[in-house]
Amino acid sequence: MNYGGLVFGLSAALAILGALFAVGLRNIFHNILGFALALVGVAGLFLSLGSDFLAAVLILVYVGALAIAMVYAVMLSQPLDLAPQARSVPKVLGAAGLAVLVGVALWLVVGRAYFPPPDGILQATAQWAGWRLLSDYVLAFELISVLLVVAMIGAVMVARRARPPARRAGTGEAA
Amino acid sequence: MNALHAYLLVSVALFCIGLYGLVQRRSLIAMLIALELMLAAASLNVVAITSLSSHHASVGQVVALILIGVAAAEAAIALSLFVAIQRKVHSIDVEDLSELKG
Repeated sequence: MNYGGLVFGLSAALAILGALFAVGLRNIFHNILGFALALVGVAGLFLSLGSDFLAAVLILVYVGALAIAMVYAVMLSQPLDLAPQARSVPKVLGAAGLAVLVGVALWLVVGRAYFPPPDGILQATAQWAGWRLLSDYVLAFELISVLLVVAMIGAVMVARRARPPARRAGTGEAA
Repeated sequence: MNALHAYLLVSVALFCIGLYGLVQRRSLIAMLIALELMLAAASLNVVAITSLSSHHASVGQVVALILIGVAAAEAAIALSLFVAIQRKVHSIDVEDLSELKG
C-alpha cells in the first residue's frame, strides 16, 4: 500500500471540496468553514511533500488565526439577517467561463512542461529551512517581521472607531 | 502523469476556483477568501516544484513561509478596511461601493 499516494488523494480531495464550499455556498460562515477545510487539505499536501513544518505553520496561521479573524470581520460588518440576493446567471456563467479558460491555458503550459527529477540529497527538513531562513534569506525574514508589525498597527489604526477628542479634565483622574 | 503533475493539477484547480470566486462574489469578505485560495495555490505550486524537481526543497519552504507571512499581513489590513468601510457606507457589497465611479 502506497501511503504517500493515499495522503495525496485524501488531501487533494479535501482541498478541492473545501475550495468549492468556500466560493459556492451562499452563507458567508459556510464559506469561511470551507476555506478552513481547503487550507487543511493544502496542509495535507505539504505533509505528503515532506514539508511538515510548513504544514503546521499553514494550519496555525490560516485555520487558526485567519479564519477566526474573518469570522470577527463578518460579525462586525455583515448584516446576516438580510436574505442574500439572487445571483445573476450571466455573471455566474461569465465567471465560470473565465475560470475554465484560465485553467485550460495554465494546464496547456504546465502540463506539457518537462521537470527534471531531483539530483542529490533532498533538503526537505525543517532544519534545512531554518538554516536557509537565517543565512541566505535573513533579509526577507527580518522584513517580514517589520511588515507584520506595520500591518498590525495599521489594522488597529484603520479599524479604530474615530472618536471626537474628549475633554475629561478633572473627571477621570480624580475618581 | 507523474507525481509533480498531479500536484500541479490540484494547484491549477484551486487557482481557478479562487479566480471564479473573486470574479463572481460581491461580498468583500468572500472575495478575500477567494484571493487567499489563489495564494495558497501559488505556494503549493512553489513547494511542489522545488521538492519534486530539484534538491533545494528548503528554498521552496522558505518562499512559502514568506508568502504565508505576507498573506497574513494583507488579510489583517483588508479585514480592518472592511470594518471601516462597513462603518462608513453600511455595506460591504462591492456594487454599493461606487462613489469613485465616473
